Amino acid sequence: MTIKTREEVFDHLRDTLVELFEIDADKINLQAQLYTDLDIDSIDAVDLLLKLKEFTGQKIKPQQFKHVRTVGDVVDAVMNILATAHA
Amino acid sequence: MMGMGVFLDSTMGRYWRVLATGFAFIVFGLGALVISITVLPVLRLTAVGKTTPRRRIQYAIHLILKAYVGFMRSLGLLTYEVTDIERLWVPGQLIIANHPTLIDVVFLISLMPRVDCIVKQGLWRHPFLRWPIIWGSYIPNRMGEELVADCAAVLRAGHSLLIFPEGTRSSPGQPLRMQRGAAHIALAAGVNILPVTIEVSEATLTKGYPWYRVPRRRPHFRIKVGEPLPPSVYNPDRRSGVLPARRLSKFFLKYYAAVDAQNQSWLP
Repeated sequence: MTIKTREEVFDHLRDTLVELFEIDADKINLQAQLYTDLDIDSIDAVDLLLKLKEFTGQKIKPQQFKHVRTVGDVVDAVMNILATAHA
Repeated sequence: MMGMGVFLDSTMGRYWRVLATGFAFIVFGLGALVISITVLPVLRLTAVGKTTPRRRIQYAIHLILKAYVGFMRSLGLLTYEVTDIERLWVPGQLIIANHPTLIDVVFLISLMPRVDCIVKQGLWRHPFLRWPIIWGSYIPNRMGEELVADCAAVLRAGHSLLIFPEGTRSSPGQPLRMQRGAAHIALAAGVNILPVTIEVSEATLTKGYPWYRVPRRRPHFRIKVGEPLPPSVYNPDRRSGVLPARRLSKFFLKYYAAVDAQNQSWLP
């Protein structure tokens, strides 16, 4: 798997959110709050983690997403997972 | 001679309503205590099986709250009207409602002889309410798969269930928000949803406002029971997963947007 840039990860995440939850693509930016702006609750988050697992090809521990609040936080968490996998 | 309605809307009438509200709260609290050690345990202990006492107790609570609503009205605290009440009596429906005031559930249970209720978990610690809630076997709103499964089972067994999809009273000045639990329950059970709208003519017993801040005029409650919504309408392609629940919650938001705006417009 090739190393992905932050932009690529963000684009993928945006597409996933649109496809999975029918969220308006315009509302998705790095600062968007998952719960308050995008209305993603804990049940939705489980589905999102499954999709991210497919995307990274890595096992994901929910703790890795414990402090995630914004879309940018998700991108960072995914970047971390990818970086660890390639280290 | 001054009519009763005119008096109640006057300054003196407002003082009366402050006193009467306090009195109604005391009666409610004491009443809850008294029935918890008399009627409710007797009903429970003299019934056989698990379902029978629950139904009997819920029916008793219905009658008591019906009397209580009449009591609040005769104190001059409020007036109310209900349209299409008989739709509430069809068994096995998920009944949803907006939640502008503290007494919405009192009204709704007073209109339904048998209904299961999802109750905010915090009320299990409430000094006056915890026992009626326990005796009535109402369901705590701990969110999760279990709650959804339990509620779906109750509905499929043919009992109606009342839930406020907002999860708590509407927050004044905040945009309307729906928890997704109600939608998940409807989808899991595959039953009709019966939407009720509660319209209040004045801000009263609103979240974050003390009870003694009674509105300038006597509030009028308009409770409208909507058309039942079958699963073929709210989930036509029979999808599973989170998407139909999000769609359904969005529908709830749209459905209640107008009445919420109306209720909010009365806030001081």
